[in-house]
Amino acid sequence: MRILKAFSAFYLNDRLTGLAGLALLVLILIGVFGSMLPLGDATAIGAGPRLGPPTWELPLGTDELGRSYLPRVVQGIRVTFLIASIAVMLTAALGALIGMISAYVRGWVDGLIMRLADVMFAFPALILGLLVAALIGPGDVSVVTVIIAATLPLFIRVVRAVTLSLVERGFVVAAEVAGASRMRVMIIHLLPNITGAVLVQLTYALSVGMLIESGLSFLGLGIQPPYASLGSLLRTGAVYLTIAPWMVFSSGVVLSLAIMSVNLVGDGLRDMLDPLRGRSLR
Amino acid sequence: MSAQLIELVSASVTYHSGPMWARRTVEAVHKVSIEVQPGEIVGMVGESGSGKTTVGKLCLGVLQPTVGKVIFDGHSPIDRSSRRGQMAVVLQHPEWALNPRLKVEMSVAEPLSIQGGIASREKIRRIEEALTMVGLDAGFAQRYPHELSGGQRQRVAIARALITRPRFVVFDEAVSALDVSIQTQVLNLIKQLQTEGGFASLFISHDLAATRYVADRIVVMRAGEIVEQAPVRKFYDRPSHPYSQALFDTIA
Amino acid sequence: MTPLLSIEDLAIEYVTRRGVVRALDEASLLLTEPSVIGIVGESGSGKSTMGLAIGRLLPSFANRLHGDLKLEGNSVFDANDESIRGLRRKRLGFVFQDPMTALDPTMKVGRQLVYAGGDSFGQNEALDLLARVGLPDQARVASSYPHQLSGGMAQRVVIALAIVRKPALLIADEPTASLDASLRDHILDLLVSLRTAMNTGVILLSHELRVVLRHCERVAVMYAGRVVEDGKISVVFANPGHPYTLALLAAAPGRERPGEMLQPIPGIPPVLSGRAEGCGFAPRCRFAGARCQVERPVARLVANRMVLCHHSERIIDDPQKKDHAR
Repeated sequence: MRILKAFSAFYLNDRLTGLAGLALLVLILIGVFGSMLPLGDATAIGAGPRLGPPTWELPLGTDELGRSYLPRVVQGIRVTFLIASIAVMLTAALGALIGMISAYVRGWVDGLIMRLADVMFAFPALILGLLVAALIGPGDVSVVTVIIAATLPLFIRVVRAVTLSLVERGFVVAAEVAGASRMRVMIIHLLPNITGAVLVQLTYALSVGMLIESGLSFLGLGIQPPYASLGSLLRTGAVYLTIAPWMVFSSGVVLSLAIMSVNLVGDGLRDMLDPLRGRSLR
Repeated sequence: MSAQLIELVSASVTYHSGPMWARRTVEAVHKVSIEVQPGEIVGMVGESGSGKTTVGKLCLGVLQPTVGKVIFDGHSPIDRSSRRGQMAVVLQHPEWALNPRLKVEMSVAEPLSIQGGIASREKIRRIEEALTMVGLDAGFAQRYPHELSGGQRQRVAIARALITRPRFVVFDEAVSALDVSIQTQVLNLIKQLQTEGGFASLFISHDLAATRYVADRIVVMRAGEIVEQAPVRKFYDRPSHPYSQALFDTIA
Repeated sequence: MTPLLSIEDLAIEYVTRRGVVRALDEASLLLTEPSVIGIVGESGSGKSTMGLAIGRLLPSFANRLHGDLKLEGNSVFDANDESIRGLRRKRLGFVFQDPMTALDPTMKVGRQLVYAGGDSFGQNEALDLLARVGLPDQARVASSYPHQLSGGMAQRVVIALAIVRKPALLIADEPTASLDASLRDHILDLLVSLRTAMNTGVILLSHELRVVLRHCERVAVMYAGRVVEDGKISVVFANPGHPYTLALLAAAPGRERPGEMLQPIPGIPPVLSGRAEGCGFAPRCRFAGARCQVERPVARLVANRMVLCHHSERIIDDPQKKDHAR
């Protein structure tokens, strides 16, 4: 119910955000239900000619093994979204906890956590990717780990900042004076009030996650065949760019669309929650 | 043997900031000694940076003095268990006085939940009693903070503060953010509740006019030190210290 | 003689997601010549909206429904973009509550003054101006960034910026609310002195009666989006003609005797969503009658002040009152 209200609020406030939200929804639905639609078999080798151009029966053409490309792209959307979403949810949970505790406890614990976060923040995601792939081998676990490592520091920072402003507020101090334990204050008073900030960061982290997944898979460090993600599809498609451009084109466009719509939705969310909205003069 | 409720004995609070090789030391409160008798309202007046909020925190035991002692009813230092059910606080900003995620009844009942050992039927009765006490009808219990005005939120904060019938309440700029017409409503409420409930109180404010209206005794602070302590009557007449006089002159 | 400021039946509403809020419900004010006028009002009275409206500084979701606002004969709401900018630059000055958000944190103070002063205003003129607003050690202040100054000093700089082009009218909205009480009177004295020094009208918006009583010559009391009483300080405070003014004076601590109980005003200020039927104060007024619920009061001249009330005569003669302008 609240989601529907949010969507209509989006559309009314800002057409672009509304459209982006719609596009995002479509992509997610395709990713979730795509395999049930009669779009073809992603694994059927030789269903058509190799590197065949788009036709009516094979709307996005075929890849180098003759598989219909459309179901491959659909699977690609699903895998990319799934990996990024799982990673980002884990990051949100971890980041919220660590950031909140860090800001509430202060002292040397806070200092240590912040310094660790700074170090993590300094590592470019792809370098981390190489490192992790070298340690535990390429694959989906590797990608999830890298996404978490790359997005966690920002989450911790944001949650910590929000918590710092919360702990000074009347209702928190009143609870402490009344004798509430730290645990109680964190669960009842702090956690429910940081969800707004977490939500906004979540959407940004999602787009970062999708980019990282695609980048790592493009380098061959991420999703391995026969599974396909948008990144790994780009990897094979790039080889045949000059003779079968529809492969790179379709997976590239879909990836760009996905990331752009997540970003726009994130922007829209942030603007909606921003208290300084509409302050421009006439 | 005087049975004072709260006593600060030459308490000082020092803050350090900056890196190890360039430490800056700020003394927020310097050798402050105060007593609060049971059932007495002590008004604490001073400008921002005078240390009055820090003294409030010392009295509540949420801050420990760097030097000196704080004694509450014989306990020193004050910890969470000695405080539970005995102390409460009402702060300045009505917009942050209540947890926006909790209904009014949950916010008001929280000190009871923390204290523990109260049956839910008794809890409901106490919530209703507390709301009526601050002039809000029982229907307010089901509302959320964003549905209330600033004055109403402060009243709920006061209800929450008094629900465990504490012996000591700190009001830190509790009426400063309210409109004048509402301010007086809340000041009258504080006076009335204090007469009925008999709690001791520290009323902290930068506004001498509002403070002398509620207090029995006034302490004037400046730059971390007490410059004058006297019965409130003196502050209707003429205080002794030049700084107090300067504050007094802004009212007339 | 064109009046300095003429506000006639101005109605302004804010359109928000949660509905429409009417901030000004036909407010009127007339300043024929430069003077120091205090506008007293609590939250929801509309005083800040009126102050901002003078410079057409309202946010994009504010709508003027009807009524007019003329500065030196020029209609503010009908002016095109270029002329309103010219008015804001040359004829108006604003001082708001928080000096730190009014100053550019990335520019030294002296440079901000020179930048605002326009042609033929240089470093020397800036130093003179800083001296005029009571700042010692002008060279040091001019080469400081805003965050290096104390609150009181920063507010003086803001005042300097506001008067740099010798405006016709200066509007100060709670200028001392974030400053310590010891500084309050000095800053307000400075503002008031501008009237004689530069022949600038000063409009002081405040929720504190004491402040207005001490520093202004004239007071306009606002409630529920209208100016309900308007007259000289000595007239209005000695003998209020509107029940709200009367109640406000009785409710504010500071004038009571030791042990005396203050009379608060019961209820809360209204939030209007449309034109008020009848008098906006009626629900909280102890003099209210049936007429007050349905008939909007019209501005009348009673005992030397303008008042918006059906029962002013009764209130002025009320024996229960005391003299508040002692």
